[in-house]
Amino acid sequence: MSVDIISAPHTGNHTIFLAGPPGCGKTTVAVQRLYHLLNKGVPAEQILILVPQRTLAAPYYQVLRQAGFPAGGNVDISTIGGLARRTLDLFWPLVAATAGFAHPDQRPCFLTLETAQYYMDRTVEPFIARGAFDGLTISRSRLVSQIIDNLNKAAAVGFPLDEIASRLKAAWAGESARLAVFDQVQEVALAFRRLCLAENLLDWSLQIHLFWHQLLPLPQFRRYLLGGYRHLIVDNTEEDIPATHDLLRIWLPLCESALLIYDTEGGYRIFLGADPKGALALADLCREHVVQSASYVTSAGMEALGLTLARYFLQDIPRLKTRVDPLQVLEPQGQRFHPQMLEWVSETVASLVMEEGIPPGQIAILSPFLSDALRFSLIERLQRYGIQVHTHRPSRELREEPPIRCLLTLAKLAHPSWRRPPPPTDVAHALMLAIADLDPVRAHLLTEIVYRVRDGQLVLSPFYQIVPSTQERISYLLGGRYDELWRWLQAYINRRDGPERLDLFLSRLFGELLSQVGFGFHRDLDAGALAAKLIESIRKFLQAFSSLNWQGTRALASVSGSSAEQPVSTGTLRTGMDVGLEYVDMVERGILAAQHISSWLGPAENAVLLVPAYTFLMMNQPVTIQFWLDAGSRAWFERIYQPLTHPYVLRRDWPGDQLWTDEEETRAREEFLGRLILGLTRRCRQRIYLVYSDLNERGYEQRGPLLQAVQRTLVESKKS
Amino acid sequence: MNDFQPRADQKRVLAYTGGKMGVTAVPGSGKTHTLAVLAAQLVSAIDSDQEVLIVTLVNSAVDNFKQRINQLIKRQRLLAGFGYRVRTLHGLAHDIVRERPGLVGLAEDFQIIDERRSDDIREDAVDAWLRGHPEAPTSFLALDELDAKQIEWIKRSHWPNLVRDLAAAFIKRAKDLQLTPEVLLERLPLVRERWTPSQAVLVSMGVEIYANYQRSLAYQGAVDFDDLIRLALEVLRRDPAYLDRLRRRWPYILEDEAQDSSKLQEEILRLLAGESGNWVRVGDPNQAIYETFTNANPRFLREFLEEPGVTRVTLSASGRSQPAIIELANYLVQWTQTQHPTEEVRGSFLPQLIMPTSADDLQRNPPAAPHGIQLVLQPGFSSERELRFVADSLARWLPEHQDCTVAVLVPRNERGFELINLLKQRKIPYVELLRSTSTTRQTAEVLEKILRCLAEPTSARKLSEAFRVWCPDDPENPEIKARIDRIARRIAGCPAVEAYLWPRADLDWLTTITPELSPEDVAWLLEFREAACRWHRAAILPIDQLILTLANDRFREAKELALAYKLALLLRDLADSYPTYRLAEFVEELAVIARNERRFLGLAEEDTGFEPPQGKVTVATMHKAKGLEWDRVYLMSVNNYDFPSGQAHDTYIAEKWFVRDGLNLEAEALALLATMAGDFSNPDAPADQFSVPEGQATRQARLDYVSERLRLLYVGITRAKQELIVTWNTGRSDRKLQPAVPLIALHGYWQQKQSQEENS
Repeated sequence: MSVDIISAPHTGNHTIFLAGPPGCGKTTVAVQRLYHLLNKGVPAEQILILVPQRTLAAPYYQVLRQAGFPAGGNVDISTIGGLARRTLDLFWPLVAATAGFAHPDQRPCFLTLETAQYYMDRTVEPFIARGAFDGLTISRSRLVSQIIDNLNKAAAVGFPLDEIASRLKAAWAGESARLAVFDQVQEVALAFRRLCLAENLLDWSLQIHLFWHQLLPLPQFRRYLLGGYRHLIVDNTEEDIPATHDLLRIWLPLCESALLIYDTEGGYRIFLGADPKGALALADLCREHVVQSASYVTSAGMEALGLTLARYFLQDIPRLKTRVDPLQVLEPQGQRFHPQMLEWVSETVASLVMEEGIPPGQIAILSPFLSDALRFSLIERLQRYGIQVHTHRPSRELREEPPIRCLLTLAKLAHPSWRRPPPPTDVAHALMLAIADLDPVRAHLLTEIVYRVRDGQLVLSPFYQIVPSTQERISYLLGGRYDELWRWLQAYINRRDGPERLDLFLSRLFGELLSQVGFGFHRDLDAGALAAKLIESIRKFLQAFSSLNWQGTRALASVSGSSAEQPVSTGTLRTGMDVGLEYVDMVERGILAAQHISSWLGPAENAVLLVPAYTFLMMNQPVTIQFWLDAGSRAWFERIYQPLTHPYVLRRDWPGDQLWTDEEETRAREEFLGRLILGLTRRCRQRIYLVYSDLNERGYEQRGPLLQAVQRTLVESKKS
Repeated sequence: MNDFQPRADQKRVLAYTGGKMGVTAVPGSGKTHTLAVLAAQLVSAIDSDQEVLIVTLVNSAVDNFKQRINQLIKRQRLLAGFGYRVRTLHGLAHDIVRERPGLVGLAEDFQIIDERRSDDIREDAVDAWLRGHPEAPTSFLALDELDAKQIEWIKRSHWPNLVRDLAAAFIKRAKDLQLTPEVLLERLPLVRERWTPSQAVLVSMGVEIYANYQRSLAYQGAVDFDDLIRLALEVLRRDPAYLDRLRRRWPYILEDEAQDSSKLQEEILRLLAGESGNWVRVGDPNQAIYETFTNANPRFLREFLEEPGVTRVTLSASGRSQPAIIELANYLVQWTQTQHPTEEVRGSFLPQLIMPTSADDLQRNPPAAPHGIQLVLQPGFSSERELRFVADSLARWLPEHQDCTVAVLVPRNERGFELINLLKQRKIPYVELLRSTSTTRQTAEVLEKILRCLAEPTSARKLSEAFRVWCPDDPENPEIKARIDRIARRIAGCPAVEAYLWPRADLDWLTTITPELSPEDVAWLLEFREAACRWHRAAILPIDQLILTLANDRFREAKELALAYKLALLLRDLADSYPTYRLAEFVEELAVIARNERRFLGLAEEDTGFEPPQGKVTVATMHKAKGLEWDRVYLMSVNNYDFPSGQAHDTYIAEKWFVRDGLNLEAEALALLATMAGDFSNPDAPADQFSVPEGQATRQARLDYVSERLRLLYVGITRAKQELIVTWNTGRSDRKLQPAVPLIALHGYWQQKQSQEENS
């Protein structure tokens, strides 16, 4: 069957819909199909690979980079957002005026996630000052991101922007006081859109909106897009948004060939607007409909476990065909206290690695949430056994990441002109992270002596000026490393050309010093990844501002209600360096979240993976062993707290006049957990350790639905 | 557990398969164990996605139940702790609301404030009301008997306290009656004219403070414990689909200590059980001792027992006490029913007598020992003399009975503290089961000391203090205490902390001092070094996560962990409000909490499981002693103040000497409040529906109190297995109190019986 798909005709509108569970080789078939197309002489430029997010394109990128790949032009790999952005940039003069932009003659500024958060934060500011969102317990960063989320959902699903509040209100079954909050969300969303139109700012939602309503109706654009890409490979359609599916509805009848891939158990990105039903409906537009079912990843026992557990939460799970004991691949392990559970996990991981020879990279420790305390405690314990750990937490505030705090503290030390001398504790922590082997006691001792703040100005002195007895205590080796850092910073401060752009400064600091032997980021995988992410984030932020310049400042003034004569932040946005300070302020105020899934860098083979379960699914990399941590936690079953938006109510298939009641909530949660279980088991080759503690880290008893499902399986297995 | 052989009456309970059942059980009849066995039986009968719901009174009972049930079902190769759920009423209410907070207008992350915090908020509301109503006391003070100076003094000190207590009771009762401030404010004008002016002032006071209090809670997005219960009921009423789901989840409800059930508890459980549901209520109405200061009332259980369709079982056999003690307890019940001088309280007890177990019972009663009873009724027994008498008695008895358990039970905490002072002086070992010790303060102090050492990593003294709080907490063991002192002094004298915590190969402080130390001391220092290094590495985490990391490293008790979590949240809030705060500032915040200078939203004081120790005196209130037993028991202060009998010369704690006409203002206010819960929709209601003659509630409150104290005395007596000593005192010098009437009755009975036996 696979061979038939790979070598299917590539002319005459030959469209194939390939469905199957994870691990059945769908993407492998698609990659082979790509080879086939190129080998048959299809020009690379005519092929478009469309994915819902960039990380899911990893298998294609790998192939394209391989030496044996057919030479020729470039195959485009894109998301719908990437496509919209690229084509809007190209066709800007045609859409700018009709779309309602105030300055159609000037170039657009495409907002990144960071800059969108920045502008939304500024948009929200005057509303909050007027008392909006009072009585709602929510952090500023969540407030900002949930309003952005609403804008994005409107664009992805295709409903008018001014319907956000009415949709949320129509489904709200709780206390009436919340209804006013939805109106405030609506007001902010519309204000943000007005700001964007006034200042040529294009956030993701506006990009998608314009793509649909301005570009697609243009005949010349249709010719360009639909005539240019004649062959489509669309992977993970179930994770993509309705806007993508709508585009494919137009495109499929017109292309020469198309291969659409659908994961029958996917749909994890529902919170980001994924529409698995809409994806499945595309099958009707395809000439061929192929279903694959055999998994190359999971064993029969693992498949049985997934189906058995998921059956408690999902309606349409098939009965097991063969009599396989689902419990043979599951090892439940309960402890009384949370630390005991972590201890047990560490010992078991160590034994797997050292005695059973399982590579650390083939072990994933998954939990519903990954708090700092959990991460720290596990990493500490595993490192005792010499086992490296790789972690990834999306949507986390940057300021909470110690390596980020270290870099920003060093940036403050290098920029006395900012007049932001960091507190001594921050300096000590930064030195501790920056200098390899510098322990906290010596870091503080060193800071007490070399760091002073006088009249708001910081003074950093070298190690060699310290009295010998203290030098002895700190050790000359560590002192030497400090001096190296000090010299680097002094050289930078004394640069003739003045300060560099913040991203360049950090790149050099990282490349020339921190990543070198003797410095803290040399061996720390996560710290290195975070540094790269920070630099990338700042770069995009600065780029957006450099293209804005005057626009941004005026925009802020108009949104915040200031007069044009007294623009907000004018002085701070003139140079890249000042914008850098603006960025640092944003991080410290908690506005910026850290990595998003799109920026995920990939697993490390020599390190155990420690991630939230949902993130693991999105990484789509099977492992040999999984640990399901805190299996008793209700968080396995619950949605994150989103008082200002609603992933289900804002979906296309939600009937507008229906209340979101206990029944819907329960069904959604069950659906979520059921799919999670299927997804995780499909990505595990050998064994799952289900670990839990009677009391969680807060001292509360926990016995959530996941654990209850396991209990039910045990009971039923005993009965049978 | 394997040896459990149910008696005939217990078998009737264990034969239960469904429907409604009411079980009344005498003290020591094994009701809790029988209920646990029944729960374990039912667990194996239900579907795997269902749970047997067990509702009990206090947290200590929750753990007790879990242990028992786990032992019973663990041999079935199932995950421990499944198939059942044990909760206090608050725990259950939290479970119910937690799943659907939006239904009652709460955010998903709503906060529950504890009693201390709610006390603070209420006090603010009271203070505001007092400031706005300076003349209010004149309606209530006994002006004829007080001079101007006294009046000023009362207004300044006593009146605010009275209003505080009254407001607390008023708010609690209003919530129990499901009356919101809005409803009360709406109804107040309709009933005010039926009342006297002072009655109107009294209720207005309660309503206004209540309204203010609720506003503050709403502003903070929080609810208090009483709200939690009220809201749980509301959630169940509001969403039938959710109620159905819970009914399916909990097909059996077993309720322990049902005599202390409140109206709301009963309504919640009744809803969850459904019309034809399975609900077993077990309790002893004769041990109902919470009526006065909670919304509990044994009436609910009694009425349930009379409902049609309820199977009634009595567990009357008890193997706990020796026959003489059983006889005395039974006599108290009979005497009350037939001879109590106040006729209205003769129904205080259910006519239910304790029966000794049969000869072949596994739990046989201790052998008869009539001399084990001492009812000390000497005249003029002063307060000091009573204390000395008990201490002397203990000093004689304890050395000879190191393998026995003994308790001194007092009616109030203050009396317990007085005894403890004396025991300390006499060097008599004791454990205290009085007011709960402040876990909050201790937890904050432990974390403060550790954080202080992290904030000043180069200080050996701070490290030494962190060592002290890291050490196992057993100050009773002199050997360990000496070791802690010795090692702490060593650490404090460490010249360079880094040479201990992160030593260089050529300079390890620990190696240099090892020759002077014992191997155990070295082992402790090594272990502490590992912990301290781990803490230091964690110091770069955000403050809440740092606290959680330290807490999971240091604490094991659920209560401590939960408290640490609350502290972590508090500091996290501070960090968000003050981004410049660093460890040093957080340490100061913790220190303030540890010193108790700022009230902190800790947990509600909760009971912990208690096992009476041998060779030590347990000093406890009679309330705290419920559910426990000792070989020898002393009951102190059995006089007519702590155990009044409705006699003319009795005085009552709730009737303040400065209030006119001996009114119990709290009782008067609650009675008026109760009328406001009536049916306001009926225009033809009789005119006197809402009127309450002044003083009527005070008289009723007296009777209720007399009844409850009789039952408290019964609880005290039935704690004793072999020996019982009851004493009384005349109170403070100006009081001239009398022995309690029931004590006199018991004494008379016992003397007569003794002389009869001697004669025969």
